[in-house]
Amino acid sequence: MVSKQEIARLAKLAKLYVKPEELDGLTEDLNRMIRFADAVATSPEKGSAFGGFDGRENIFREDVPHPSFRRDDILKNAGSAEDGFFLVRHRR
Amino acid sequence: MKYELICGLETHVELSTKTKVFCSCTTEFGGEPNTHCCPICIGLPGTLPILNRRAVEYTVMAGIATNCEISTISRMDRKNYVYPDLPKAYQISQYDMPLCRNGWVGLSDGRRIRLTRIHLEEDAGKLIHGRAGTFVDYNRSGVPLIEIVSEPDIRSVEEAVEYVEKLQMIMRYLGISDCRMEEGSLRCDVNVSVRPEGSDGLGTRTEIKNMNSFSHMTKALNYERDRQIDLLESGESVVQETRRYDEKTGCTEGMRDKEDANDYRYFRDPDLIAIRITEETARKIRAEMPEDPQKRLSRFQSEYALPEKEALLLIEHRKIADYFERAAEGLKNPRSAANCITGPIFARLPDENAKEKFQIAVSAEDLNALLRMAEKAGIRENLVRSTLEKMLDTGKPVSDFLSKEDLEGVSGEELKKFCRQAVRQNPAAVKDYLGGKQKAIKALVGAVMKATRGRADPQKAQLVLKDLLDRG
Amino acid sequence: MLESRELSCTELTEKYLNAIGKENAALNAYIRLTPETALETARRVDEDIASGRSLSPLEGIPMTLKDNISTKGIETTCCSKMLQGYVPIYDATVWKILKDQNAVLLGKTNMDEFAMGSTCENSCYGGAGNPHDPVRVAGGSSGGAAAAVASDLAVYGLGSDTGGSIREPASFCGAVGFKPTYGTVSRYGLVAFASSFDQIGPITQSVEDAALIYDVISRQDPMDSTCTGRKTAVVPDLGKGIRGLKIGIPREYFDNVPEDVRKALRNTLKIWKSMGAELSEFGMPSVKLGLPIYYILACAEASSNLGRYDGIRYGYCTPHYQNREEMVCKTRSEGFGREVKRRILLGTYVLSAGYYDAYYKKAQDLRGAVIRAFDDVFQKCDLILTPTVPTTAFPKGRTGGDPVENYQTDICTVPVNIAGLPAVSIPCGSGRDGMPVGMQLIGPRFSESVLLNAAYRYEQETGGEPYRVKGMGVDL
Repeated sequence: MVSKQEIARLAKLAKLYVKPEELDGLTEDLNRMIRFADAVATSPEKGSAFGGFDGRENIFREDVPHPSFRRDDILKNAGSAEDGFFLVRHRR
Repeated sequence: MKYELICGLETHVELSTKTKVFCSCTTEFGGEPNTHCCPICIGLPGTLPILNRRAVEYTVMAGIATNCEISTISRMDRKNYVYPDLPKAYQISQYDMPLCRNGWVGLSDGRRIRLTRIHLEEDAGKLIHGRAGTFVDYNRSGVPLIEIVSEPDIRSVEEAVEYVEKLQMIMRYLGISDCRMEEGSLRCDVNVSVRPEGSDGLGTRTEIKNMNSFSHMTKALNYERDRQIDLLESGESVVQETRRYDEKTGCTEGMRDKEDANDYRYFRDPDLIAIRITEETARKIRAEMPEDPQKRLSRFQSEYALPEKEALLLIEHRKIADYFERAAEGLKNPRSAANCITGPIFARLPDENAKEKFQIAVSAEDLNALLRMAEKAGIRENLVRSTLEKMLDTGKPVSDFLSKEDLEGVSGEELKKFCRQAVRQNPAAVKDYLGGKQKAIKALVGAVMKATRGRADPQKAQLVLKDLLDRG
Repeated sequence: MLESRELSCTELTEKYLNAIGKENAALNAYIRLTPETALETARRVDEDIASGRSLSPLEGIPMTLKDNISTKGIETTCCSKMLQGYVPIYDATVWKILKDQNAVLLGKTNMDEFAMGSTCENSCYGGAGNPHDPVRVAGGSSGGAAAAVASDLAVYGLGSDTGGSIREPASFCGAVGFKPTYGTVSRYGLVAFASSFDQIGPITQSVEDAALIYDVISRQDPMDSTCTGRKTAVVPDLGKGIRGLKIGIPREYFDNVPEDVRKALRNTLKIWKSMGAELSEFGMPSVKLGLPIYYILACAEASSNLGRYDGIRYGYCTPHYQNREEMVCKTRSEGFGREVKRRILLGTYVLSAGYYDAYYKKAQDLRGAVIRAFDDVFQKCDLILTPTVPTTAFPKGRTGGDPVENYQTDICTVPVNIAGLPAVSIPCGSGRDGMPVGMQLIGPRFSESVLLNAAYRYEQETGGEPYRVKGMGVDL
């Protein structure tokens, strides 16, 4: 059983704001999901570490510059931008 | 009660690869904000990282140069936290399988500072705090960094500075980073604690950040050491925290808005593939590395018969050491090249930065040409110097300043001619000499030197003059 | 494919656009139409035909893309409030490949938000309906694509599959859904849900189409380090005999499967046998933990992949806040739906200090065990046969209560993603309610040729009719 406080702490870590009236329901849902996941935690099977498919190694890119994207495009989807910067307003 | 200082450093070094570590954007410094970006380094949905081979090679070089074990298998991990300068809300770094482990850096007194690890990671963007809000520039986002972590082996503020200077020299020598603290290509965070002298165990440590120069680092560490000793002496305890150096006050301050320890939830990055460095690969990388500076120092002393002090001045910056070797090629007396560098050339390089950049008008080949001519023709050192000064001023080659006549020197009949001329033109000095003032002959020698523009040998001139005057 | 002279590409495209105009409202398969792009490409193709150039197989064919596949200049939202208005500045690799072949993009299709769901109801645009019975779900998360293809409002669509999101909706809608071997199709441009599970694949009206599309999009991509591309082309191997093909049937996959679905699957066995395949039954107990293994690992990766949505560089931003922390938290809480938030929290939990070893690390180790279990099975047989979903498409509105209940739909599909295997779902009859039943065939990694050929032979043997709802879509 994971407590409401624990769920609130997780939410803070995940940068999610949980309204007080939502916390109970969310805690219940998460507890169901964690209980579901417990089947793995409590399984006696050992398994073997998964390090990726086909044991591939050394996939690299060469150190050759390509032209960067135009700044207009980089800023295109920004909510607010000013003087070529992304702007995170202090408050709105 | 006497206390001793215990320090460990985490040093971040920006690698000077041409492109970022996970995309092909340029790493060029400066540039208008957000003009060195692409979907990958601003973390657009759907983008994926691709690892820069050169960044891996540079990291391995750093490890080899600091006596590390190079891991055969190494992996990239995600370090998850939220901050506006981190576009993906995670930094791709290395957690439990870094590229390099268990190395050391030697100090001048013979002590070794052990390195726990060196790993590769990506840099974040830059934040500028303004009135309206925070301005974000992602040009720097994705630039490759290596993080060099030392054990808490450092025992004094001077040692800490020397350790960082050593790292600087090693990285610059390898050519993998400019390592300029003021420009941010070298950043240090220091873990500081104190303990009663002679005791074991480690006291509570604080982490000091935001020191942008050696002088800041010295001031900050001195302040923090004293602050901690003060606390302990008055019966209080040191709080484990991160503190920021404030250059205006010269003090360290607790960082108020740093949250309680972040849970980074490290896990293997599923978008990247394992790195295997075989013996063969390590050998190839080592072959590309320049000579170790310590070895070069010894070699300069033995091969070029340079005294240690002079050799140290030359090996400190790789460009200068390379320059010296090219300028000294084929000379009977390589010390003359050393003198030219430590004399007239260094006079024109006002500080360490200038020495590191080493931009001078005379190429090593041109200096070598001058010195070879000097050796062959027996040209006086002061003529060599004055010629060199002119070359440094104008960037023009030797031939513009030394004519055939200069090279041939002045001797025999020609010397006698100049001496007779000096005697004729300086009757007062002649009278003084003949009257018993031996020293007056110097004035005549001076006149001969002036007339021959330094080409004559003053000792020979003096003999000829004496002969002339004594015989009448 | 037709094209040669019967109809011009423009006419064909217009027919599809008209059909969409009439029938999409009831299904909500499309959430964004791109008629200008479509007609422009169609005109280009017609010019090429007129100049006598021969067309490549996919040229001029009207198709769709799931809305988590990045299309430069065309809004891409993953059907989430968080990305409404987001217009990518680059193309996903698979789209670039198809665009270069003059594929005619009719529009973007509906999906569960960020690909998290099995019914398409977790969409900010409302759910997609099943063409066989629109009060029932189309399935998810590629519900829109499956509904569009099954109702012939597109010839084919590309979807994505992380735990069954191509195969399950294909099964519900009576279409072919193919998830390739992990690493054979580039993920560059696919908005990430769970990086080591996600794969893009085709939803089509026939196995041959799926094979054709796979051969075209399965190229090695330098932009995706996990992508090696395919090993061999599939199309040349279609039609080969399957005498002696060993098909294994794992018992556990038929547990808790209602009788009507079981009957439909049993009927297929006669057909396989008649084609000369050798059937065998066996136990595969390790696969029982598939669902929790999947949810732990996928949610962990998702919690990390979705961390970037903070309103700064793109996407939704909360309109009022007092400080940056509030901005980020409110943006994410308002922008993400309930299921997405739940999965992010579960993912955060299993990665957090103190829980990492028991959950995430353990799940990774068990993932290795599942892979080995499949390897062992494939020593003895060439392909595995299971139902795609234990049920047929159920009425909308059923999901809501217990999140874990909802996950049970994925029980037959997730083990495939855990092991990175190729799998295809093809229609194989109907349930008691008249809704389509899907049969899933699974092969070892890189066995697309054997896998799709077997599916193709079955399809041919049972009539070879393209799978689509009669009376819907384009009348050719």
